[in-house]
Amino acid sequence: MASRRRILLKVIILGDSGVGKTSLMNQYVSRKFSNQYKATIGADFLTKEVQIEDRLLTLQIWDTAGQERFQSLGVAFYRGADCCVLVYDVNVMKSFDNLNNWREEFLIQASPSDPENFPFVVLGNKTDIDGGNSRVVSEKKAKQWCASKGNIPYFETSAKEGTNVEAAFQCIANIALKNEPEEEIYLPDTIDVASGNRQQRSSGCEC
Amino acid sequence: MHETEQHDLSDDSDYAAASRHDVSRSILRSDSGKSTTSEAGGSEVVYSKENVAIHPTQYASERISGRLRLFKQGSSLFLSWIPYKPTTDGSAVLQGQGSSSVPLEKDRYLYTIKSLPLADVHSIRRHTPALGWQYTIVVLSSGLAYPPFYFYNGGVREFLATLKHHVFIVRSADDANVFLVNNFRDPLQRTLSSLELPGVVSIANRTSFHKPRISMSSLDDPERVNGATYDGTSSTSEYSGQPKKSHDPARDISIQVLEKFSLVTKFARETTSHLFCDSHDGLNAYEKKQQNNYSSVKHTSSQSDEMEKTSDMSPVASDPLEFEELRLIWGKQRMHPLSFEEWTSFFDSEGRITDSKALRERIFYGGVEDDIRKKVWKFLLGYHEYDSTDAEREYLASVKKSEYQVIKTQWKSISAAQAKRFTKFRERKGLIDKDVVRTDRSIAYYEGDDNPNVTILRDILLTYSFYNFDLGYCQGMSDLLSPILYVMEDESESFWCFVALMERLGPNFNRDQSGMHSQLFALSKLVEILDSPLHNYFKQADCLNYFFCFRWILIQFKREFEYDQIMHLWEVLWTHHLSEHLHLYMCVAILKKHRKKIMGEQMDFDTLLKFINELSGHIDLDWTIREAEALCTCAGENGAACIPPGTPPSLPIETDMGLYPQDDEVL
Ligand SMILES: Nc1nc2c(ncn2[C@@H]2O[C@H](COP(=O)(O)OP(=O)(O)O)[C@@H](O)[C@H]2O)c(=O)[nH]1
Ligand SMILES: [Mg+2]
Repeated sequence: MASRRRILLKVIILGDSGVGKTSLMNQYVSRKFSNQYKATIGADFLTKEVQIEDRLLTLQIWDTAGQERFQSLGVAFYRGADCCVLVYDVNVMKSFDNLNNWREEFLIQASPSDPENFPFVVLGNKTDIDGGNSRVVSEKKAKQWCASKGNIPYFETSAKEGTNVEAAFQCIANIALKNEPEEEIYLPDTIDVASGNRQQRSSGCEC
Repeated sequence: MHETEQHDLSDDSDYAAASRHDVSRSILRSDSGKSTTSEAGGSEVVYSKENVAIHPTQYASERISGRLRLFKQGSSLFLSWIPYKPTTDGSAVLQGQGSSSVPLEKDRYLYTIKSLPLADVHSIRRHTPALGWQYTIVVLSSGLAYPPFYFYNGGVREFLATLKHHVFIVRSADDANVFLVNNFRDPLQRTLSSLELPGVVSIANRTSFHKPRISMSSLDDPERVNGATYDGTSSTSEYSGQPKKSHDPARDISIQVLEKFSLVTKFARETTSHLFCDSHDGLNAYEKKQQNNYSSVKHTSSQSDEMEKTSDMSPVASDPLEFEELRLIWGKQRMHPLSFEEWTSFFDSEGRITDSKALRERIFYGGVEDDIRKKVWKFLLGYHEYDSTDAEREYLASVKKSEYQVIKTQWKSISAAQAKRFTKFRERKGLIDKDVVRTDRSIAYYEGDDNPNVTILRDILLTYSFYNFDLGYCQGMSDLLSPILYVMEDESESFWCFVALMERLGPNFNRDQSGMHSQLFALSKLVEILDSPLHNYFKQADCLNYFFCFRWILIQFKREFEYDQIMHLWEVLWTHHLSEHLHLYMCVAILKKHRKKIMGEQMDFDTLLKFINELSGHIDLDWTIREAEALCTCAGENGAACIPPGTPPSLPIETDMGLYPQDDEVL
């Protein structure tokens, strides 16, 4: 399938400040965890090449500032997204409660064509802290919420230890790819090179 | 028509100087179209154009308009440019900044060209941009270039045509916009034409120069000379009043003008010093001074005779004090940082700073040395008044120290049990806790586990969020506080300095983002007037929100430079010399620097954001400050008009609503 061209998938990571969005992104892209990441100002993204079956994809992962005050910038950053990753900290109840706000805010600002079926993934991060003893949001509770929002895939991760990060992003890549329309009618500038003859493929996502 | 009388140059001191070359009064009045030939001195005006202006860039943001002429004496052609004399009520001071009439006055003499023999001219470069006003740059044989002459009434073509009629002119083979006046085998030719930057609209070949139909008789025809609507009266109003809105030339200043000019100047400096090394002859005093400035070549005393002998030929006023400023035609050299000795010289015996403006200007051009930064910042930030005495400041420090403790106690006294029922407090504290451990931890002062300075950072931010409960804490504040604490090394003093800084930058963190939006808006307006092609590109690429500059503006470039550079930049910005909004001109400068790449690669919003983020650590600070200064000066009042009142870091306009509009958000 050498004739197939690479396509670009845009993924947005959202969640309260400090839940570990930047750490997750860096862990996934460079397999590193640092205590010295700075709080994100504005937005930035990293890209990573991934292969799904025989397809080469470029994942463009967007990391944004978490404080509510900065949400109005979302309009510019979220457009053209193929998937939205909602992150909370399993040790902070408020960050879980806010998932709904983040989801709605995203749908308003990104205004995807089919909001009902827009793909989200939820990550419960920082499972490593205190061996899990300080967690306040149970896995069950999180999964219930995900189920109620149209079966959002759910992962528990530790950006610090690297636990489950690769698996989560594999899933993210898969469902972002599924969201890509069959016909490439994307704005050419949101995509590296448009691909012509792509088939719909079944997700390799285990979630 | 009576108004023209007040601009008659006969009572102008410049006039007297010009008369040395027997340019008689009747000739100077030949714009009236009645006489072009002198009965008295054998000089003959062959070209005269009103409203030819220069934009001095250092000491006045206004343009200086004047009259450009070519006149003949015997077989030699001379060029003169005499600025209009400001009237006593200042009405000839363009764009009406009465306060700046003094530097303008100085500039008038600085730039006056009484009579420049065309024999001394190497080449003339013309530029007729698609947007903006026509201008020419006169390059002397020495390589020195005059500031561009802007032909506000048009007439570049006639100017060149007239020249062609009287002196030997050849168009450069390398660049159709360069006209070589004397010697064409000069290697300068190639150097000069290589100044052409890629991406600049070239209108070469579009204009024909084969018909030198401008003759003396055509000079008699006012319409021919000064454009269709010209007459003496309108000329007066053009230079004595505000420019007409729709016709405001500075709005159209295209960025290429700036780029070119700075290059020409640089080129001129280099060439001048180069020539001097080759030959010590034939240079006038002005040029020698230039060499002293640029190449540090030492003159021997034996040359002083020659300098005097040639000083008459100096293209500018020969007052040596004014040479200093000539160097500043474009972007002033950065200076060494303010030293302790210099700093102490600004104080009177009781510890007052007598000339705060001079101090701020000095700091603007060089920053300060590390050992005095702690003291200097308190003034720059406004925590200390310039006219306070040592004793008053000492008293203030102790009062403020206890005041700080009182505010700090407000949150210190919240018990764990109380905090459980105080969500807003817990969340605010949680946010600050998370951010201070992510702030400048690679700086020795903040590095390592359990670093007490990180705790102080936290305490100050939390105290501030009580001091200014409406604004609270917002991400980015820890970035702003970190260098302040590093410099002050004192909790209370840092707090009050931070408070002073937030007086101006607080609106950056407004919940409705209004402070940021007004700055981003102003930035888009500035790009529009300073680089309209880039503006048009952003518009077409749907990038006009300028969110890609968000980080630059929110925290004053904190993430873009090394720690020591940031301290330098901030003290420069905080002087508010030239503008309170120099940071916006810095944004323009950096964007403009990369304009070719941005437009050439057709960057979309995402790519642009990434590109800008990755510039972090790769921006030349001194260059950016100089360029911003030049842009700011060049944009002048039109630039200032792009920036709505109250735009941070201007002090906010207070309303009944309180300074920090609230919404439902809890944090
Ligand atoms: N123990 C632990 N700490 C984490 C983890 N992920 C992030 N952190 C820390 O949480 C803080 C916030 O992380 P960051 O990635 O900057 O969060 P963001 O604001 O969501 O981007 C930092 O101090 C990180 O070191 C994790 O999985 N485990
Ligand atoms: Mg982050």
